Amino acid sequence: MRNLVTVAAAAAVISASSAWGFANAAVGTVIANQEMPTVDGTRHLLLTNATANVFVFFRPGQEHSRATLEQVARCAKDMADKSVHWVAVVSDRYAREKVETDIKETGLAMPVLIDEGDALYGRLGVALCPVTGITDRDHKLAACVPFTKVNFPVILQAHVRRVLGEISDKELAEAIDPSAAIRSGEGAGARQQMKLAEKLRQAGNIEKALEFARKSIEKDASAAAPHILIGQILAGQGNRGEALKEFALALKLEPANTNALVGAKALRDGPPGAK
Amino acid sequence: MVDPHQSLCAAVAALFLVMTLTSAVAAEAAKTTPKKRSGTPIPTVKTNNLAPLAAGVKAISSHSPFEAGDCSLCHQNKDPKNPGPVTVPGNESCLECHEDFKAVMGRKFSHVAAKENCGSCHNPHNSAQPKLLVEELGALCNSCHADMKTMTTEAKVKHDAVTTGQKCSNCHDAHGAKVEHLLTKLPFDLCINCHGKDGVLDHDGKKLTNFKTLLAENPEHHGPVADKDCSACHNPHGGEHFRLLNSEYPQQFYSAYDPKLYALCFECHEEQILKDPTTKNLTLFRNGEINLHYLHVNKAERGRTCRACHEVHAAKQTHQMRDGVPYGAKGWTLKINYTKTPFGGTCDKTCHETKSYTNKVFTAIGKPANQK
Repeated sequence: MRNLVTVAAAAAVISASSAWGFANAAVGTVIANQEMPTVDGTRHLLLTNATANVFVFFRPGQEHSRATLEQVARCAKDMADKSVHWVAVVSDRYAREKVETDIKETGLAMPVLIDEGDALYGRLGVALCPVTGITDRDHKLAACVPFTKVNFPVILQAHVRRVLGEISDKELAEAIDPSAAIRSGEGAGARQQMKLAEKLRQAGNIEKALEFARKSIEKDASAAAPHILIGQILAGQGNRGEALKEFALALKLEPANTNALVGAKALRDGPPGAK
Repeated sequence: MVDPHQSLCAAVAALFLVMTLTSAVAAEAAKTTPKKRSGTPIPTVKTNNLAPLAAGVKAISSHSPFEAGDCSLCHQNKDPKNPGPVTVPGNESCLECHEDFKAVMGRKFSHVAAKENCGSCHNPHNSAQPKLLVEELGALCNSCHADMKTMTTEAKVKHDAVTTGQKCSNCHDAHGAKVEHLLTKLPFDLCINCHGKDGVLDHDGKKLTNFKTLLAENPEHHGPVADKDCSACHNPHGGEHFRLLNSEYPQQFYSAYDPKLYALCFECHEEQILKDPTTKNLTLFRNGEINLHYLHVNKAERGRTCRACHEVHAAKQTHQMRDGVPYGAKGWTLKINYTKTPFGGTCDKTCHETKSYTNKVFTAIGKPANQK
């Protein structure tokens, strides 16, 4: 049941993220392939039989488009060893020089197809520009990724990796809508006090070691380690009764803790000949 | 009265600082990463005086090992009068105890200044600031991110989120994050912390919308809202346009057509849809080839701006169509009565008499995969 909920949640995140952008082509639609003229004067297919096909609509001289091209160029470079076919698509309304400037300045190293009369744009019902489409090997639309100011390359790569079969839906959903990360340092105080107590003990500063181990317990009473450290110190000082209490507290928190078990046993058994 | 212990400690620490930092860190300070757009390059590391506070200066935070008085925990010698150099160089020494920061700084996005040297921001002894920071938090961030200082303090439209509470840390994690720009969450998840409540006021005291309520009541969300990317349209640091918008957006219902007014919308939407009287491809809001976006908006006088028909965040109807538009001085709402049809739509008895449109639907795209 829990798995079903997780799968449904992942599907909701993925569909919310990839459902818009192409008014005439929902996710799952097979995109008809076509050969198109390119900026460098040749002709090139929109889609190939690569495992994933990525096509990016852009407008020259436009901020989001340039950002998209730069990031798509980097993604393509990062994924150069994978079976991914990358193309960019630009309307024939724009001056060739402007397009070439953007290609050069953004480091785009992929065929740039010219959409004559915005035919492909209209066929897909492109509602946004820049926007990126991703299909699988069968040319079935897997995702439509609009430009986002935050995390665009992460989202784009995750969609491509999903099509390549490298990640699961759950991992894709996590890339699109990452779960909140713990704030750095959050809840770490007790562990740090304990680390310091250990260091102080190693340095021979026993009283301070005890002080910081107790501070650690004040911050987090659920950890066994500071009780064990205190127990070991007290045992070393010959305070058997108090040491046993500390080991008992540690074992209450972690019944199978070896250090606590060994410490307590050593005190109960006592040295050879002791009562 | 100067405490000889403190002053000697400070002198030794300062000497050590000079010895180690002039050769290594100062050289590092020259390394910079180019800023994305323009302006001052951001240094990758910051050089600070990491000596303990001078005697008489009240410490707000103090590092436990320093408090323990045993310098040998980090330095070669126990003696505060002669601690000598640190035994483990750089961040390694810090990470021996603060081990969870290894994972934090190992996240997809990390702060180069933190990775290079914890001392970029923290004094390992004590500080007149919380968290052992070498300076007040906002000033500390701005000391490298100089453009942010200008933006947050001199912007025409200010955002209190960057100057109150935890300031930069309200949204950023200075060590590492799963989200770009060191954001602790996606923009929407951050914004909603404040903008998901009733009674929140902007910098100028104007009451702001509760977006939790608005979005719950209006299921058709604008793309950037659905993608949790508030920064697609708003600059959270401050800006020149109302509502912290990134670019120009018409404030009025009617306006003479001027493409500059729609700069914000054109960042994602094709501006050509407002320029061409006819189109076969650029918009589905067309009757045959008559471009109805052009017809409504592109007028020398009283052109309808985007807001005349569309809600910007969320609406009850598809395309974020508004329910109605304000009409007259008394604030009466004139219903738009929009209905979407398979090949177009209808606006019924609204600003005009009932009108329908039909866009020609392509056929070449093929069938959905499950309809072979």
